[in-house]
Amino acid sequence: MLRFAPLALAAFLSLTAAAVAEDKPTLTIYTYDSFAADYGPGPGLKAGFEKTCGCTLSFVAADSSIGALRKVQLEGATTPADIVLGLDTSLTGEARATGLFAAHGLTFDKLSLPAAWTDPDFAPVDFGYFAFVYDKTKVKTPPNSFEALINEPASFKIVLEDPRSDTPGLGLVLWIKAAYGDKAADIWKGLKPHIATMARSWSDAYGLFLKGEADMALSYTTSPSYHAIAENNPNYAYADFSEGFYPQIEIAGILKSSQHQDLAKKFLSWLVTSDAQAIIPTTNWMYPVTAIGDKLPAAFPAAPAKVLALDEKTITADKAAWIDEALAAIR
Amino acid sequence: MLQSADPAIPRRPLRLIGGAAIAFAVAALIGTLFWSILHAASGQAASGSGIDLGYLIYITTLQATLSTVLSLIVGIALAWALNRLRFPGRSLLIGLFASAIVTPGLVVAFGLLSVWGRSGWLGGLGIPIFGLGGVVAAHLILDGAFAARILLARLDAIPDTRLKTGQSLALSPWTRFAVIDWPAIRGTLPGLAAIIFLLAFTSFPIVLLLGGGPAVQTLEIAIYSAVRLDFDLALAVRLALVQIGICAAIILASAALAPISASLDRPAEPRWRDARVARTLQWSVLSLCILGFAAPLFATLLDGIAGLGDVLHQAAFWNAVATSLWIGAASATLTLVLGITLAAARAASLSRAGRTLLSVPAYAYLAVPAVTLALGAFILVRDLGMSTGFTAPIVVVVANALLALPFAMATLAPPLEAITRSRGKLIRSLDLVGTRQFLEVEWPLIARDAGLVVALSFCFSLGDLGVIALFGTQDFTTLPLLMVRALGAYRTHDAAAIAALMLVLTVAAFVALPRLIERLADARA
Repeated sequence: MLRFAPLALAAFLSLTAAAVAEDKPTLTIYTYDSFAADYGPGPGLKAGFEKTCGCTLSFVAADSSIGALRKVQLEGATTPADIVLGLDTSLTGEARATGLFAAHGLTFDKLSLPAAWTDPDFAPVDFGYFAFVYDKTKVKTPPNSFEALINEPASFKIVLEDPRSDTPGLGLVLWIKAAYGDKAADIWKGLKPHIATMARSWSDAYGLFLKGEADMALSYTTSPSYHAIAENNPNYAYADFSEGFYPQIEIAGILKSSQHQDLAKKFLSWLVTSDAQAIIPTTNWMYPVTAIGDKLPAAFPAAPAKVLALDEKTITADKAAWIDEALAAIR
Repeated sequence: MLQSADPAIPRRPLRLIGGAAIAFAVAALIGTLFWSILHAASGQAASGSGIDLGYLIYITTLQATLSTVLSLIVGIALAWALNRLRFPGRSLLIGLFASAIVTPGLVVAFGLLSVWGRSGWLGGLGIPIFGLGGVVAAHLILDGAFAARILLARLDAIPDTRLKTGQSLALSPWTRFAVIDWPAIRGTLPGLAAIIFLLAFTSFPIVLLLGGGPAVQTLEIAIYSAVRLDFDLALAVRLALVQIGICAAIILASAALAPISASLDRPAEPRWRDARVARTLQWSVLSLCILGFAAPLFATLLDGIAGLGDVLHQAAFWNAVATSLWIGAASATLTLVLGITLAAARAASLSRAGRTLLSVPAYAYLAVPAVTLALGAFILVRDLGMSTGFTAPIVVVVANALLALPFAMATLAPPLEAITRSRGKLIRSLDLVGTRQFLEVEWPLIARDAGLVVALSFCFSLGDLGVIALFGTQDFTTLPLLMVRALGAYRTHDAAAIAALMLVLTVAAFVALPRLIERLADARA
């Protein structure tokens, strides 16, 4: 068994040697796991950007986007990361408050987002709308609002994500808050009998739903597109809620400590071009932030008629209280 | 029972020193990890998140106690049935049962749903699977079958002479259990109970998956939330210390309760069958357990078939297999060395306090929340100025080896103590040195148990998801990480196939490794 140690050591030394021999700059991006994965957008973006940048693009995956942020916070000024990618708009205020991010100095005026993009520190990456997804062959008449969902018989089950451990879980807290304000706790109380469980992550929750343990799962309006395109299965749809939908915009920011500020800016402005954005829909199953014409698969649904919003300052200040309120209502 | 200077026990100062050094190192490591986090937390503002600590402690303790008591009852019944019954496929079944504990909790939970969930095979029965019941059921699968495996090893090691005496006295099945079996398993129960309690207490993915909402949760998720969502490291450390405090009380109680095993021999092929009523009961216990335990695992295998073709063609899959195998092999070796050293020191120790001090750090490590562990190690590695990419494999190997150490202790300490007590006089009269005592007396007798330890810790790191989360990168990916990644990208078939393959690997390890190591030991002797 000891034979492994020198082997492993040799492997690592050769890796380090390879990194040193490279004289091109390396742009290091911390992101969440599935973004960097083989079938995520990471490899396509890497290949696309490296064609023109004269650099090496390196994605380093953390288990989640918030995990990537925490990693940078722990590493402080010595972090090897230049960019953190994948946080969403529910965490913008908190990320900004860390003081780790530098202003990007770019203008994003040709985007197709739910609202104009004016953030001085963060650039948009992709976006989606939280929604309850169901199987059309099993649910014939899906609820069309939170109140209709509450009025379903108790045997109608949904799976959620825990807002403390997962961004869609947090997204639902914000969605209900944006739609119902002070009455949010009542909605949560009404949902209680329908909640099969609150899973640790989106993947666990969605796995439970696919296994048939619930009638609907909290996911995205674009989730049915995955089944339609990748699995050729048109049976999934999202429930169209009359309250409107709450968007999740994934963002990227440049770290003040980065030695490659210009290269990092170049990447962020390249990321919103239609070339880069065309990679997003069928790898991350989210909407591109720029119009990409017919490169957007036809199976992607049109944007919802009504889009809800919350103010960043309020989110940052009250997020913890809202989570506690929701959890208390369903305990 | 024990005098302070028992003449029957050979004096082994080196063993005591070795064991004390390991125990101290583990304790120091835990301390350093916490210190690193606190150090990083200094200057951080407290978030003051509203955590209902009282309720968390209550529900976590309730769940862990239920899981432990039920697991032990089921474990004893199943071990009893398996010890008496002989049938084709028995060792495969034992391997399958034992593998549950090291299978990632997520895999077991999904397997459970395949059988009992509302769309499962027995979904029509309408048994509620979400909530406290579901959580305890999943823990029962993980831990009850494991308890049976450990207890079975003790029952199988009952000396032939005792069995023959018992048979000639025509003991009833009940008296046989009370007089012959119970003394053999009694010594293992407290350690086993402590392990199961710790596992259930710190359980996290299963509790969130099957808990049915925030009414059923564990302290571990509050800690996770403090680290991730609130980034309140000081709060995380405080909660972790509460968790360790409660677990330490359980560990100390179990150490105080543990009697010392006194007899051990080569396993005998039993020729003593119980009366018909007892045998019927044994077969029923076995059938129920197969239905309850093996069916969810079997479902996992079936679910995996659909995605198998895809997965086997992925280079990433084979890379992850290679990484998982060498990580598993390295940490299994480390666990075995540490476990034998600690257990031998325990056996050579003359005082109860000494034995407790030697084993507490190893168990306490199990109570350290995974997220704190990963976090502390991450900060420590950075404080030491090492690159996290470079140290990731080392940290994962050490962390996994230490996680398996309590299991190694629970498996190896009773037989080593029994050897010291039953062969001590012989060893002293022959004036054997420690090395020869080990090679000629102890090793041949514990080889099978050692094989179990190797299998356990090998599979433990194979299935690990906790430690690798903060350290894993694109280039350093194990099978469970690959599985979670596939799940995170809608690829449920891939994930199911990886889960099934991990299960196959685990069962194979459990069937093959103990035999392999015993055969090696036989070849030496």
